[in-house]
Amino acid sequence: MASNPSVQVQVAQGRALASRRRRERLHTGLTYLILGVSAVILGMPFFWMATTALKPIQEVVIYPPRWLPSEIRLENFVEAWQAAPFDRFYINSVVTGVATTLLQVLFALFMAYAFAFIAFPAKNLLFLLVLSTMMIPVEMKLVPNYLLLKELGWINTYWALIIPPAAHAFPVFVLFQQFRTLPRDLLDAATVDGATHVQTLLRVVAPMSRPLLAAVALVSFVGRWNDYLWPLIVTNKVAMRTLPIGLAYLKETQEGGNRWNLLMAGTIFVVAPILVLFIFTQKQFVEGITRGAVKG
Amino acid sequence: MAHRQTHGSSWHRNRRNWLTFLAFVAPNFLIFGVFTYWPILYSFYLSFNRWNFLRPTMEFVGLRNYARLLQDEYFWEVVGNTFTYTFSVVLIAQFLAFLLALALNRKVPGQPFFRTVAFTPHITTTAAAALVWVLLLDPQMGPLSLIYNALGVQGPRWLVSTTLALWAIIIVGIWKEIGFSSVFFLAGLQNINRDLYEAAMVDGASTWHLFRHITVPMMTPIMFFLMVSGLIQAMKAFDVVAIMTEGGPVYPASATYVYHLYQLAFRNFRAGYASAFAMFFFVAIIVITLIQVRMSEKWVQYGE
Repeated sequence: MASNPSVQVQVAQGRALASRRRRERLHTGLTYLILGVSAVILGMPFFWMATTALKPIQEVVIYPPRWLPSEIRLENFVEAWQAAPFDRFYINSVVTGVATTLLQVLFALFMAYAFAFIAFPAKNLLFLLVLSTMMIPVEMKLVPNYLLLKELGWINTYWALIIPPAAHAFPVFVLFQQFRTLPRDLLDAATVDGATHVQTLLRVVAPMSRPLLAAVALVSFVGRWNDYLWPLIVTNKVAMRTLPIGLAYLKETQEGGNRWNLLMAGTIFVVAPILVLFIFTQKQFVEGITRGAVKG
Repeated sequence: MAHRQTHGSSWHRNRRNWLTFLAFVAPNFLIFGVFTYWPILYSFYLSFNRWNFLRPTMEFVGLRNYARLLQDEYFWEVVGNTFTYTFSVVLIAQFLAFLLALALNRKVPGQPFFRTVAFTPHITTTAAAALVWVLLLDPQMGPLSLIYNALGVQGPRWLVSTTLALWAIIIVGIWKEIGFSSVFFLAGLQNINRDLYEAAMVDGASTWHLFRHITVPMMTPIMFFLMVSGLIQAMKAFDVVAIMTEGGPVYPASATYVYHLYQLAFRNFRAGYASAFAMFFFVAIIVITLIQVRMSEKWVQYGE
């Protein structure tokens, strides 16, 4: 108790610093451990998909399996492409994916603008009606929608793949949230200049929201590309199928042969465009997904 | 006179605005009306009928579809499966995602790479991912067999086991969900005010204390959001089942609710009964959401 208090403090500080450093190192080690294990587990399917797609069939069925192919067999891709009409699947996926995305964003742009800036009676109630569609799963509308599309003669057409999913509450909600934060003065100035709502929307609001529009479009496109259930219901001809269902078709036709190298090549056909898109637009993409969720 | 004029012109202006509003919201509302609102009413109507999609007339059966549903063994089994799937995926994925987010929140070299890897499963086509997982879980061809081999054990045949098939589907669900949830947790962690930690550290709080009394409470709104959206998302699981097991190996061992709904409607052609199934699902989603909103009032801490 007699020792100098300032020395005591120094010693204590030194000890605290050392223990903090030790803890820091421990934390970094732990961080890399968690990240490494996660990356291996989360990335394993991609690794196995890629290596299997390149293996000759003997190396696929061999036990125990090999991590890497001994020779790279690119013919797998050619054979997979020929085993099912992948050219059709691609055209169907790209055309319906792009068209639906454009319509979704366009319709959402106008609707979000109307809800954000134009006065109308009972607007809140109408907005709730829009949001409520997010609560209603596609799954529970399958039977009536199928009947309706049959009545319209839309089964096995692009109409069925494009029009019903073209209205979506999610982009409306995300854009609406953004529009509310735009400075009112700017819009008022445009109105004073005698601009109509269409002009204000296209010349002021839309250009200011361009990054978000891109983000919303990305999320929409990936959602359409990956969709399995809707195209499964509204098409039944092989030539009208989209890529995910085309892959299931490839699986059925290859089932007996267990030609997993071809199946994995087919899988790459389906996921590669999305992965490439994601890698180049990651920021906007994550932005688009998180925007609708986190308030304010 | 002057008063009337302004009144008249404001009415005129309103009418113009109202018409513009209607024109702007028309495309979406038209599509919602035809392909969402109307189908729900029609589903409701169908659920009181018996119909096989082909006969020209339906047979009105009142509540019989609903009564049958409660006695249907398959119904209870797929409800059970869906519960197991949904809660396992949401709880396990949330826990792991939180852990991952804590690791991602430390700015170590290589962090962006790990973030990309973590998020990629979420954007990967589910049907395609499910197909890869069939191969991964294969006791002979998959990489797991190397582990079994090293341990000298016989690996389980996930997809032909009545108990494990559902868990194979759950694993894929978790795999897809972790990165998605961790992005939200990470955003939440980065939003926590550093001053809170500094202040608590001055008061001599331990790391565990900081975590327990600052980090976790601040994350509850995000946990809540992820749970609601995750539960609803998981309840709708379809693609994974369709690709991996088709509800097998002995139906409905791994069939989820929506998968069974699809079977009833588009394989057994029981339009009325399937619609009763759909209505039940609809009510369940609303009830779960309401329960969660009520619960959140108790344990979610919003704001600073």
